[in-house]
Amino acid sequence: MEIIIAQLINGVSYGMLLFVITCGLALVFGILGVLNLAHGSLYMIGSYVAYSLTTTFTQSFWTALIVAPLAVAVIALVIERTLLRVTYQLGHLSQVLLTFGLAYVFHDLTKWIWGSNVLSIRVPDLLSGSVTIVGQTFPLYRLVVIGVGIIIAAGLWWIQNKTRWGAIIRAGLSDREMIGALGVNINLVFTTIFVLGGILAGFGGVVASPILGLYPDMEFQTLILALIVLVIGGLGSIAGTFTASVLVGVLETFGRYLFPELSMFLIFGLMAMILVWRPSGLLGKQVVEG
Amino acid sequence: MKNVYLQFAIVLLLFAAAPFFISSFHITLLTEILILAIFALSLNVIVGYTGMVSLGHAAFFGTGAYAAGIIAQHVSANMLFTLFGAVIISVLLAGLIGLFCMKVSGFYFLMLTLAFSQMVYSFVYQSTEWTGGSNGLSGIPRPVLFGWEISNMVWLFYVIAALFMLLYAGLRILVGSPFGKILVGIRENETRLKSMGYNTNIYKYLAFVISGALGGVSGSLYTYFNGFIAPSDVYWTMSGTVLIMVLIGGSGTMIGPVLGAAMIVLLETTIASYTDMWMLILGSVFILFVIFFPSGLYGIWQDLSVRFQKRGGPSEVTKLNKKRAS
Amino acid sequence: MKKSVVMSLCVVALLLMLSACGNSAMNQAGGSDEGEGNGSSSDDTIKIGTILPFSGVYASLGKDLSAGMKLYFESVDWKAGGKKIELIEEDTAADPQEALRRTRKLMDQDQVDMLTGAVSTAVAYAIRDEVNSNQLPYLASHAGGNDLTRGERSDYIWRSSFSSWQLGNSMGQWAYENVGDQIYVAAADYAFGKEVSAAFMEAYRAAGGEVVGEVYPPLGNNDYASYLTTIADSEADGVYAFFAGSDAVRFVQQFEEYGLKEKFDLLGSGWLVSEDLRESIGSAAEGIYAASFWDYNLENEQNQKFVEAYEAAYDRRPTVESLEGYDAARIIVETIEALDGDVSDPDKVIEAMSAVEFDSPRGPFAFDQETHHVIQNMYILETVTENGRTENKVIEKIEGVQDPGE
Repeated sequence: MEIIIAQLINGVSYGMLLFVITCGLALVFGILGVLNLAHGSLYMIGSYVAYSLTTTFTQSFWTALIVAPLAVAVIALVIERTLLRVTYQLGHLSQVLLTFGLAYVFHDLTKWIWGSNVLSIRVPDLLSGSVTIVGQTFPLYRLVVIGVGIIIAAGLWWIQNKTRWGAIIRAGLSDREMIGALGVNINLVFTTIFVLGGILAGFGGVVASPILGLYPDMEFQTLILALIVLVIGGLGSIAGTFTASVLVGVLETFGRYLFPELSMFLIFGLMAMILVWRPSGLLGKQVVEG
Repeated sequence: MKNVYLQFAIVLLLFAAAPFFISSFHITLLTEILILAIFALSLNVIVGYTGMVSLGHAAFFGTGAYAAGIIAQHVSANMLFTLFGAVIISVLLAGLIGLFCMKVSGFYFLMLTLAFSQMVYSFVYQSTEWTGGSNGLSGIPRPVLFGWEISNMVWLFYVIAALFMLLYAGLRILVGSPFGKILVGIRENETRLKSMGYNTNIYKYLAFVISGALGGVSGSLYTYFNGFIAPSDVYWTMSGTVLIMVLIGGSGTMIGPVLGAAMIVLLETTIASYTDMWMLILGSVFILFVIFFPSGLYGIWQDLSVRFQKRGGPSEVTKLNKKRAS
Repeated sequence: MKKSVVMSLCVVALLLMLSACGNSAMNQAGGSDEGEGNGSSSDDTIKIGTILPFSGVYASLGKDLSAGMKLYFESVDWKAGGKKIELIEEDTAADPQEALRRTRKLMDQDQVDMLTGAVSTAVAYAIRDEVNSNQLPYLASHAGGNDLTRGERSDYIWRSSFSSWQLGNSMGQWAYENVGDQIYVAAADYAFGKEVSAAFMEAYRAAGGEVVGEVYPPLGNNDYASYLTTIADSEADGVYAFFAGSDAVRFVQQFEEYGLKEKFDLLGSGWLVSEDLRESIGSAAEGIYAASFWDYNLENEQNQKFVEAYEAAYDRRPTVESLEGYDAARIIVETIEALDGDVSDPDKVIEAMSAVEFDSPRGPFAFDQETHHVIQNMYILETVTENGRTENKVIEKIEGVQDPGE
């Protein structure tokens, strides 16, 4: 019984890690309808900037936690203003190709700047201890990540449902022309959302890399994980993404515990089942296909 | 119509003559381009003509490749056997996956095909007894055609070039047929076709199975070509590469995917010999294509040929592209 | 129908572009059964082709191998047997199909006299048939899959690095005597990880130990919490782990974080605590026992010389891959020396290569004539903390470990 509880905690903490990684992608895809395949790359840049900040310049994880997401935000801003804007009229496929191209470019640029060794970020001393629950040892940082995930989810939910911005976004989701008619600058809304997605990706990079590490090809692994969670949760729904993160985290943890060899098969199987059973995901809204 | 036969004859002649003029390394390159061109053409049936974007096409390529390899090792290396076996197994797989995938469309179709292909990958990776797992399947005997072992790259090139011509012609006829017209109709406006009384799901399903079968053919050719199969041939990156070939070449055209395949293979081969930053260059090329040539290589092509005839002034296609790009 | 005119024009252009190279495929195809076809490089240069990953997950390994090779070639001024050595490097991205393409390029276009490299075992298996049928002497300088010098053995393939059997087997007896009689095995779920752990378990059981559990997390797994919780629940004395690269960093760190370090000894292959990973792993690496065929702190004259030269040239510590590259280059140079620079006959090249023996930084180096695989010392290392950083100490030497070859 104790081991079941311990695995459940493992599952939830892994799930929250997935949520931290995915929420930026979910925001951008859910609202802008842009499938950002460079999401993993933005995450990776956040990690590497944080690595540089913690090892060389400031030695402070907390500085990195603020500066790295901002650095990624600047990159996201440039991408949206110069490249992505062009593709809004061209349809989804062009965006897929564009962001995939960007992912390739960022891959080599980060390799060029930071090399291809395996790196890691130290957890700050304040968060580096261990906690014992039900007779099992858990790293404190994992439990902190659970908290971070919940805070981000609550924050996004609050913005989407309780603020004027949220209202505009929800309107934009259902009818783009209408909010233009309301006198809202739709371009500004798009830029803001994409930059916010970038900030979340960068933030995810800083928070997740003390656990996941930094290594070549990390962005593609992250991207695939994020896509799975996104699809299972359903598009345009923060609650859905949150639920899916926990579900995937718990299922994968128990999958590894019970059928270690099948864990990858199980996750994609779950994704296929959900898509067939409920094409718009667990809690997704029916988004108009474009 | 006569023109088409003429083109066909010229290409046939060029293929026949190629080994006399170009080095064996370039023959292997050309062979690889033709195999991947068949793969890209097969994906184009659903992406380009029917409008269903799949990110799981490597499942069929890999299934065909492994089926051909395993049959060659355990049953017979006769090419008719291996090719036929590969086609049957990929048709069965496409038939099964297609049943589920027809329920969804758009982005969900893309993700569902991805999920299925990753499941196939996981299966291949775990079945080490049959597939060699992460080590790949090696020691596959050379294909045998009519009792004669194709051990030499030039003969293999001829076999593959002949198959390529055959499949290209077949696909072209298919696309021009009433069936092909209905597929394009589905791409343009599925609701309208439905209201006209067509059961669009059956057409989509058929297109999916045909596409899967051809994917299996290209996979088995790749096995003959390399004598080796790696699990990365079933991985989603392979699906991504072939989708890029179709998009860069020009989806929904016959020659586009072929050009796309040629361009990606040539780019990878030439760049990688000079720098290990090939992803940077390839990525920049994708971006340039999206921004400046949204209709792919085929678009550039048409543009050039129009300009060639009219001499002077940007053509309709460029104007169109510029309009779309701005 | 103008499009089709353009289309055929394209094909013509393509063919013309490709035909830039002189000799046609027909000529080469006709003469492919005379093995000497390869040795057609110009009289005063010997071309060495390398296939290594410079991009992708194994990029750092490829770069270290390359750096090690260049260091040795530099030390002989890029000359051997009176001829100039030319190194042609191709990037495989650790993808077998890409590696095959590169190998064909090296054989057909560059006409290399010898081939070396391959980090991923799948790459070595992929090029095996191509190399064998073209009679190209190939020195495998990293890829460790057992079969390359067993079932897939070829006259033209020799291996200077290690086999997964050597890595796993060498620790079995030692683990039984020094760790305890019950052990838990965790290894990355790919052919190499399974081969190493199988070799370990075989030797450990033969010594009298009991394997109380086995688990194989997928390659590139990012969270070991679930596996670690399961292992923590067992009654083992120690955990034998085979992981490399980012997997190793995560596993070792999480092993400590989840409190297993206090309960179990952790042992594994040298890649668990390799020179380029320990800084990322941090203090969690302390106390790990590992088996390897070389270490930075190995004390012998050759190693001292190698380490000094490497650090002077690249301003960083050599890794085990750097050593593999360094030794591979040395074997190639000594082969060419033995033949007085005449490498035109592949059979003579491999004959000369098989006789190469020398004192390597890793200890005495010689090939097993039967299996074509290196016979070498294996070392048991312990990771300790010294001056604020972790170092590997050699605590035991197992001499002349020879792969059984079947």
